[in-house]
Amino acid sequence: MTDISLAPPAPARLAGLTWRNVFALAGFLAALFVIPVVIDDDFIYHIFVTLFIFAALSTAWNIVGGFAGQLSLGHAIFYGIGAYVGIILMNMGISPWLGMFAGAAVAVVVAVAISYPCFRLRGPFFALATIAFLEVFRVLALHFRELTGGATGLMIPLKFGWEWMVFRERLPPLIIAFGMLLVCLAVAWWIRSHRIGFQLVATRERESAAKAAGVDTVKVRLIAVSVSAALTAMVGTFHAMYLTFIEPAAMFSLPFSIQIAMFALIGGIGTVFGPLLGAVLLVPISEVARGWLGAHALGLHGFVYGAVLILVVLFMPNGLMGLLSRLNKSSETSRQRQAQTITAAQAPSERPSLGDAIVKVESLEKHFGGLHVTNNVGFTLREGEILGLIGPNGAGKTTVFNMISGFLAPDSGSVSVRGADGTWHKPTTPADFAAIGVGRTFQIVQPFAAMTVEENIMVGAFHRFSDVHEAREVARETAHRMGLGPWLDAEARGLTIGGLKRLEMARVMAMKPRVLLLDEVMAGINQTDVRRAIDLTLSIRDSGVSIIAIEHVMQAVMSLSDRVIVLSSGQIIAQGKPQEVVRDPTVIEAYLGKEFVHAQA
Amino acid sequence: MLKLETIDAGYGATTILHDVSLDVNAGEVVTIVGANGAGKTTTLRTIAGLIRPTSGRILFEGRDITRLSAHETVDLGITLIPEGRQLFPEMTVHENLLMGAYRSAAREKQADTLEEVLTLFPRVRERLDQNAASLSGGEQQMVAIARGMMARPKLLMFDEPSLGLAPIIVAQVFAVIDTIVKTGATVLIVEQNVFHTLKAADRGYVLENGEIVLTDSGKALLANDHVRQAYLGI
Amino acid sequence: MDTILQLLANGLMLGGLFAIVAVGLTLIFGIVKVVNFAHGEFLMVGMYLTFLVTRMLGLHPFVAVIVVVPALFLIGALTQRLIIQPLMSARDDHIQIFATVGLSTALINLALLVFGADIANTPASGLRTPIEIGPVRVLSGQIAIFVASIALVIGLQLFLQNTAMGRAIRAVAQNRSAAQLMGINVDRIYILTFGIGAACVGVAAVLIAPLYPTSPTIGTYFVLTAFVVVVLGGLGSIPGAFVGSLVIGLIDSFAGFYIGSDMREVAVFGVFLLILILRPAGLFGKQLNLSHVSP
Repeated sequence: MTDISLAPPAPARLAGLTWRNVFALAGFLAALFVIPVVIDDDFIYHIFVTLFIFAALSTAWNIVGGFAGQLSLGHAIFYGIGAYVGIILMNMGISPWLGMFAGAAVAVVVAVAISYPCFRLRGPFFALATIAFLEVFRVLALHFRELTGGATGLMIPLKFGWEWMVFRERLPPLIIAFGMLLVCLAVAWWIRSHRIGFQLVATRERESAAKAAGVDTVKVRLIAVSVSAALTAMVGTFHAMYLTFIEPAAMFSLPFSIQIAMFALIGGIGTVFGPLLGAVLLVPISEVARGWLGAHALGLHGFVYGAVLILVVLFMPNGLMGLLSRLNKSSETSRQRQAQTITAAQAPSERPSLGDAIVKVESLEKHFGGLHVTNNVGFTLREGEILGLIGPNGAGKTTVFNMISGFLAPDSGSVSVRGADGTWHKPTTPADFAAIGVGRTFQIVQPFAAMTVEENIMVGAFHRFSDVHEAREVARETAHRMGLGPWLDAEARGLTIGGLKRLEMARVMAMKPRVLLLDEVMAGINQTDVRRAIDLTLSIRDSGVSIIAIEHVMQAVMSLSDRVIVLSSGQIIAQGKPQEVVRDPTVIEAYLGKEFVHAQA
Repeated sequence: MLKLETIDAGYGATTILHDVSLDVNAGEVVTIVGANGAGKTTTLRTIAGLIRPTSGRILFEGRDITRLSAHETVDLGITLIPEGRQLFPEMTVHENLLMGAYRSAAREKQADTLEEVLTLFPRVRERLDQNAASLSGGEQQMVAIARGMMARPKLLMFDEPSLGLAPIIVAQVFAVIDTIVKTGATVLIVEQNVFHTLKAADRGYVLENGEIVLTDSGKALLANDHVRQAYLGI
Repeated sequence: MDTILQLLANGLMLGGLFAIVAVGLTLIFGIVKVVNFAHGEFLMVGMYLTFLVTRMLGLHPFVAVIVVVPALFLIGALTQRLIIQPLMSARDDHIQIFATVGLSTALINLALLVFGADIANTPASGLRTPIEIGPVRVLSGQIAIFVASIALVIGLQLFLQNTAMGRAIRAVAQNRSAAQLMGINVDRIYILTFGIGAACVGVAAVLIAPLYPTSPTIGTYFVLTAFVVVVLGGLGSIPGAFVGSLVIGLIDSFAGFYIGSDMREVAVFGVFLLILILRPAGLFGKQLNLSHVSP
């Protein structure tokens, strides 16, 4: 068996946090809470309540905007819904403590309804759509006067006490706001450090690679949106009680939505504590400016916000957290893992004979515009077999791969895969293919660039394990097997091409596929790596995986393949044993050029 | 005419070319062969000024062009006919050709050059008013070559001119390139169809993993065992 | 019948207004591939400039074009050079979005700081005079906008189609790296295009200022509809934006009458969301072939 030496255990960590950081964080949060209590001033209390609320909203926004990368500029929709539902129910005699959950429920329904169709929009168009929805909600809130009070707005009934979330004292609102912040932080931290967090970030970084790794990208995003909307609505309910008065223009406001997102960006988008940091930095400044300069400086704080935002994107796109982590890195003794002994390939064991068919591809057809890229392509892959797919550049090999992994629907024809239970299935989506055990790599490597090597492989491992520790173990094991051990903690974007190719393989292998589709994993890597990749592929096959490999490196094709299929201009022009195929005149002509045939003759 | 001295280059943090040195003399046809991903395209893009080398020097007619941008190298007479044609799809063939003569020096002679080029490519003349996107792959490749010639280049670089074309079309494309070569043009060509190019080239370089591992005359490379095994599969 | 004709006229006039605001936006999007969230604020700045020029120099608002258009060109060019260009290669969408959102926020609040929240009225100079054409009444200023928007659309099209510079601009949009290989200085084309897009909204500002009161948030009011128009017309298509403007103008006008004036925006944004979700290439845009799986 392959001899695996595992990495030394990482220092005591709490899902990515060292204990030292945990204490620092607890101290920081405690200080935030104590400062207003000690200073004991109305205005300071107000600043801190506002700060906590913005930090909580921004943290909730970050679950969608940061983790999932869906840049919502309409989050005030959920905030407004929470506020309106809370006050409307309170007017009916229902405590905001319950109303808050009702608001959250409504917000979740709305969030799912508006997000689902919008997910196919990218970047600025998603942002535009959210703005448009926000406008619609504002106009609707103005229109349905009986319910919302229209432009006049709604006052909360003057009922005081904990039961009604409305207070004459200063301390209780501070406690509630602080509690909400803690809840939002805890939820964000939980998500980021569990399977769904990894899947969200993977989806954000490379949606197609995430799909290939078996992530149900739509589902995880919907969960993220729902959680975020629910939290935002709950904070909205409380804020309405604190403000005692709400109106559509203030509740469903675009500048307010932008502000929420802005704190996250300035603090560090996609990090758990970045939004808090952004709010801590900016809210006091703006509130103090508003308080002291009053009407003279109307617009000053907004101007500062806008300017800071531009400067941040230009000069520190990773926000304050990026700055902190850079400081942290330089002080911390870099804890390099020792290079691991990479295993030699085991002695060639007795190879099991080929089994029955596991993948059946029947007369696939595909046109792009006027181009006939796949013309009646059909073949069978047998269990334990390595099938080489070769042909000139542009022959349509990758297109065939896309159709046998669910990324592209054929115009006609079918792909069937035999499941582990022996029955035949016709998967259609990448998720179906992943579920039935078909894993693939991409010709153009698709790492989750912002994640570490270990995290990249974990995304694949999460296909089988929901537990972070188990996934981490599998990821490490796979990394060592692929010779990636020394780079476990490195960010994927820093790897060499050879490293990225192996990472691509490792991510798929962590899914334990039964059928593996390799798209030019040897292109552009050096001779030693080619040799290693060949051994690795053989050992993967010997562990019972059936493989289809697109490959240009002839050395690899010849030594790996049991059978070779040659594709040219979208058609299969030859298939058979590798030695036979390369002597076939049709193949030589298509692949190597006509002159070659003459020269040979 | 062109001289690369110990060039390192790549994308972002990834270095693709290591210590690449090569030269092309006036009137010569030089080819670079190598596997997919070996760095052939990167070499051409670096010469064209689309990628800035991290170290080394590039000289063109004795002048240091290492730090020049793409639009400056075009002025000096370096033209790259890129991989995959890269036409302007929503423009007519005529407009595409005019774009080839965008720089002021070429624009002055635009009308004459156009006539010369169209004489060389009668098929392109027939398609002048069609949108580039409506052409077949072979016709697009012809237009791409014609567009490159509109700049009146001193050095013409081809990147995989046969990519994705049917064998019969490939033969036509090569016939055109041969005609251009016969006019005495200086050509640097990268092509997966190793056999043809090595036969047509005066000299060749073998690029593996971003390093030049072998250089010789085209004929000699064609007979070389390593080349035959790695790129011809025999 | 007269009501319908009047609504039709109102819709067309409104369409001209939207078109003149949207032309620059769609140009910038089509070429530079950046959604300029600060476009409305460019309009707002232009309107304040028009207000200042007419008030301080006592000139006809249309004369302000001499000042406003070059000023906006400069603002646009500087925006591209200083803010967008360094971010062109940014890996994440949110970087560019936040950059222009930040600019928008900064400009709105700068206007608030300088001019206060009160509205600024540019003298009407006879542009709010109703003109009767048969049974319908429209303002002379509206007709000016409508005519100008057609002229601007045609002018831009001619420039893009028939000049070497225009061809270079289109080339950059269609294939950036091939354009570089042709010897086009792509960075300069982007700066120029952003400048032209902003200059277009400068023209809009001069024409709109006499008709609508200027306030710091006036840009948001117009530009949201301009975004709708741009998406409807097919992103980056100038004639598409014009047709889209007329469609939205008519929807706005008829919805305002038949559904209720406060619900016009719901109708307009409803159409927007439907188009965005069902046909992101727009009504007149080509369906792009997105079938190749790319990273």
